[in-house]
Amino acid sequence: MSRWAAAALAGAVVVVGMIVLPSQLYTGQVRVVTAVLMFVALAQAWNIIGGLTGYACFGQVVFFGLGGYATAVLMEHANWSFWAALPVSALGGAAFAALIGMPLLRLRGHYFAIATLGVAEGMREVVTNLGWLTGGGAGITVPTVAGRGTEWLGNDGFYVLFLALAGLAVAVAALIAHSRFGYGLRAINQDEDAAAAAGVNTTRAKVVALAISAAITGLAGSAYAFQQVTIYPQRLFDVDITVIMIVMVVIGGAGTVLGPLVGAVGLQFVSEYLRQHYPQEHILVLGAVIILVVLLFPSGLVGVRSRSGLLDTIRAYRL
Amino acid sequence: MTAALETPILETRGLSRRFGALRALSGVSLSVQPGTILGVIGPNGAGKSTLINVITGHLRPSAGTVLVDGMDVTGAAPWRIAHAGVVRTFQIVKPFRGMTVRENVAISAMYGPTRGVTKRVAFEVADGVLERLNLAGLAARSPAELPVGDARRLELARALAARPRLLLLDEVMAGLRAAEIQSMVELIRGLRDGEGVTVLAVEHVVKAIAAISDEICVLHHGEVLTCGAPQVVLSDSRVVQAYLGTRYAQRDGQS
Amino acid sequence: MSSLWQATIYGLLQGGLLAMIAVGFSLVWGVMNVINLAHGAYVLLGAYTAWELHAAWGLDPLLGAVAGGLVMFVIGYAVQRLLINQIVNAPIFLTLLLTFGLQLVLVQGMAVVFSADYRSIATSYASEAFAIGDVRVPYGRLIAFGLAVVATLALVMFAKRSRTGIAILATGMDRTAARLMGIDARHMYALTAGIAAALAAAAGAMVGLVGTFSPPDAARFTLLSFVISVLGGLGNMSGALLGGLMLGVVQAWAGQYLPGTWVNAVAFAVLVGVLIVRPGGLAGRAFYESRLETA
Repeated sequence: MSRWAAAALAGAVVVVGMIVLPSQLYTGQVRVVTAVLMFVALAQAWNIIGGLTGYACFGQVVFFGLGGYATAVLMEHANWSFWAALPVSALGGAAFAALIGMPLLRLRGHYFAIATLGVAEGMREVVTNLGWLTGGGAGITVPTVAGRGTEWLGNDGFYVLFLALAGLAVAVAALIAHSRFGYGLRAINQDEDAAAAAGVNTTRAKVVALAISAAITGLAGSAYAFQQVTIYPQRLFDVDITVIMIVMVVIGGAGTVLGPLVGAVGLQFVSEYLRQHYPQEHILVLGAVIILVVLLFPSGLVGVRSRSGLLDTIRAYRL
Repeated sequence: MTAALETPILETRGLSRRFGALRALSGVSLSVQPGTILGVIGPNGAGKSTLINVITGHLRPSAGTVLVDGMDVTGAAPWRIAHAGVVRTFQIVKPFRGMTVRENVAISAMYGPTRGVTKRVAFEVADGVLERLNLAGLAARSPAELPVGDARRLELARALAARPRLLLLDEVMAGLRAAEIQSMVELIRGLRDGEGVTVLAVEHVVKAIAAISDEICVLHHGEVLTCGAPQVVLSDSRVVQAYLGTRYAQRDGQS
Repeated sequence: MSSLWQATIYGLLQGGLLAMIAVGFSLVWGVMNVINLAHGAYVLLGAYTAWELHAAWGLDPLLGAVAGGLVMFVIGYAVQRLLINQIVNAPIFLTLLLTFGLQLVLVQGMAVVFSADYRSIATSYASEAFAIGDVRVPYGRLIAFGLAVVATLALVMFAKRSRTGIAILATGMDRTAARLMGIDARHMYALTAGIAAALAAAAGAMVGLVGTFSPPDAARFTLLSFVISVLGGLGNMSGALLGGLMLGVVQAWAGQYLPGTWVNAVAFAVLVGVLIVRPGGLAGRAFYESRLETA
């Protein structure tokens, strides 16, 4: 009980601090923190299927892109309010996850990773080619006029929205991690045959995990589309977004609740710094950072407790 | 056998499984009466583990049926079999390596045949089972640290936490020392006599399993060579030749 | 009708080249269960090596292919030995991440050094062609196809007949057993990676001979290698040849008959479809049965 109370107290302090924060920052800084919050939500989402369940979804961005396009299409073509489009985009992402999850979650290891990557890349082409609906490669613009819930939220408004999404994602991740369901997912991750033998309905658990993960990712995509106003398939289905989620989870520690939080905050600030100071080479440096992180922290920062622990984790996966 | 004509808790009819050209199981028909222990023995590669894998749904049979309580469950998913009260151990132990020993056992209680077990109850069940198998002192350890004997008992503890009606044991005595085998034998006997658990034990350690089995079946090249009372089966000349080998038989005869 | 034949011939010629790119990728995947996301970057490094040699000394791209192959053998060996071997036993998303990071570094590095402009290696013969009926067959593509098929078959022979090749396959099938028999697994893994890189680079020189290239193409080559490996069956080298030819033809047909950029979606549709229906690959039985990672 006291541990939960302490966690709740710490969470409350962080939330209050985060709400007050924008008043102390410049506009540009608010945008940077907003992006950090989005990646906190995305990293937590990937962690549910990739870190906790052990299914390396390399096509996670498909739920982001679908969420964004669902919102844009509903607002532009059906005159929906953003607040109606937001939850529907999340549900759409979850439904699509269940649809592809049934056949694809039978695949293990690299096969699953590649199949989901194929789905994401293929979906980008589909969206690009359905020009009458999505605007094709030229992109689609979300209406931002006042009234009927379509008014653009402004920098501070999106800050609060992404703060809420990040909070929701962390809360969902924490609930799952400590629940019976979370034990089932970890069991699947560690030995799927043994999990099934212990009575875990592995098919259902995996599909539900992917759907929850997709719903959170879809929410982020929806909010991102509204924030950006105009969206393009190249950006909304960019494989780099998936990879960044994974890097964040790995840096922080896969399968933990704290890990993706630490990883998202850390990596997003580092890459923002690189982008501002080395505009030409920042991707190159990012690649080098990824290589170093994988070699030095294969179990994540949260997993490293001491110096000898660090050496052990570095050696752990060596041939 | 003059046993009453109860519905067998487990029955297989003409169970076959091929791996490419290899016939790992062919036409295996067995039945296990409630409250008894059936020992299945046979040399390496006889198809013993395949038999369990096909029963529990970890492998699909190429032909044949599996009946639990007279109901056809052929090819059902492993968790359905588990929920029907048929719980197994693995020959190559498969602990959840990222969890503690206690969590390993609790998961079986959480997801086992008894529905609606909360996390708290599951951990109580786990503590009880660990106590019973003398693993309580290791509850907080990682399963990776356990020596063979304890790892095998953990495998059994996980199965017991599910409160099985039928327990499928895949070589739980392999690699154990004599004293450990003895305590395992007593434990299995206690499960049958004390709680009425039915057991199908696939075993390589013939003497130990013969001592507690009500019936023994011999698998050879994926087929059932013979079934019957332990002393009858073990003195059957075909069994002695096919499985134990002539030299072993002679030495055993002299002693 | 002749457009169908033209597309088919073009697809087969292109498919042979794709097979040469993919066969090493498939071998690496099969032997060490590693997917090298930097594989496409190796193709481009080979192309740029051949381009530089051609620009500096007028070296024919066929010789440039050999030179690029040698250079990339060394680099591929070193990358495996120094980087990938360090985490080869880790959960797969770590190896995927590592090779993705490598891909970023290589592709961005090439963009910085060579710029993102499209280049090609111009020769006197590549765009000359002969005709069979209405179908036009360019010499450059035919040469590239011939080299690709010969190289792929040579790899198959090497793997199945030579002492080293058998040691590589043995390591892939059971690393522990291979080590007990005195095979140095670290060296074998690095050799495999080196061979894969060399073939990819040589194929890259041929890509430069028959068309244009630019650093961002790397991701496309990697993805096509995935698709071909899955089509052909994991680690199955002659399967990769077959898969390459099939994919080449399917893509050529799609380019001929589908509107817009739908052709880009075809490879992914094929990939996902095959994974769902026959994860073991279309070309007969999977080579590494124990790696068939489907429940």
